[in-house]
Amino acid sequence: MIGLIILAIFITLIVLAIAIIQNDDLPHSVVLFMGFGLGSVILYFLFSAPDVALTEAVIGTGVSGVVFLVTLLQIRSKEIKK
Amino acid sequence: MKFSIRSIFISLIVSIMIVLLLQIFLQFDLVTSSAGSFVLNINANSTESANAVTSVVTYFRGFDTLGEVTILFLSIFGISLGLEGYRDKFNIFAYENSLLKIAVDTLFPLIVLFGVYIIIHGHLSPGGGFQGGVIIASAFLLMFLAKSNDFSLKHNILELAESLSGAGFILLGVLSILIINRFLGNFLPLGKIGELFSGGVIPLIYIFVSIKVSAEITSLVEYFIRIKDVK
Repeated sequence: MIGLIILAIFITLIVLAIAIIQNDDLPHSVVLFMGFGLGSVILYFLFSAPDVALTEAVIGTGVSGVVFLVTLLQIRSKEIKK
Repeated sequence: MKFSIRSIFISLIVSIMIVLLLQIFLQFDLVTSSAGSFVLNINANSTESANAVTSVVTYFRGFDTLGEVTILFLSIFGISLGLEGYRDKFNIFAYENSLLKIAVDTLFPLIVLFGVYIIIHGHLSPGGGFQGGVIIASAFLLMFLAKSNDFSLKHNILELAESLSGAGFILLGVLSILIINRFLGNFLPLGKIGELFSGGVIPLIYIFVSIKVSAEITSLVEYFIRIKDVK
C-alpha cells in the first residue's frame, strides 16, 4: 500500500514538473512549484527523512515561493510601465 | 493551463521509465547500508542525542555546518550588496486586509513559539537550528505580508544577533580546542538520552545556528519585499 502511494506521488511529481516547465503563465507556474514541494515533502517523510521534509516544507513551499512571486511582481510592474 | 499532446506523451514515457527504475531501486536493502548503520551504532554512546541526524550535522561534521552557515551568510551578503541601492520603505505587498491584520497578531507569537520549540528540541525530535530559524523568519514574512508599511525591523538588533551568534559558534569551537583538543567537540556533560538537557554541546550549537539563520533569512525577505518601486 505504501509502495503504491509512493509510486502515485512519484508520477504526480513528474507530471507536475513538466507542467511547471510547459506553463505559459508564470504565477501559475510558481503555485505549481509550491505543490511540487508539497509532494516532495510527503516523499521525504515516507522515505523516513523527517528532517529533510521539514526543511523542504519551510523553504520549498514557503520562502522560495514568496521570493519568486515578488520577483514576478517586480518584472510585471517594469513591463507595464514601459 | 495549456498541455500539448507532446508534453503529455513525454511525461507518460518519463514516468514509465521512473517506475521501472524504482522497481530496481526498491529491491536494495536500505537499512543495512554501511555508513548509516555505523553512525547509528556509535551515536548512542558518543552523543546521547535521540535524533541521529542532528548529531551527524552538529557533532560528526560540525566543521561542515560552519561552512554551510558561512555560505548562507555570503549569499545574503551578495544579495544585500546588489540590492542595497534599491531598498526603500515601500512594501510591494500593500494589501489592506483587516482580517489578516487582526489574525497575524495572534499567529505571530504562535509561529515564533513553534520555531523555538523546533530549535530547542532539535536533538530529540525532527528539526533543528536551520528549520526552526526559517520558521521564525516565515513568521516575520507573514508580518511583512499583513502589515504593509507600519511594521519595520530594528536593523541594529538584527545585525547584533547575527554577528554575535556567528561569533558564538566559532567561540564554542575554540573553547573546545582549548579543553579537549578537538574543534567543535563535546566538552559538556552528556546527560541521559531523551531528556531536554542532554546531548552535550549539540543544543548550544543549534541555538547559535538558529539565531544566525533566522536573522539572515529575515533580512533576505525584507530585501525582496521592501524594494523600490520601478519608475
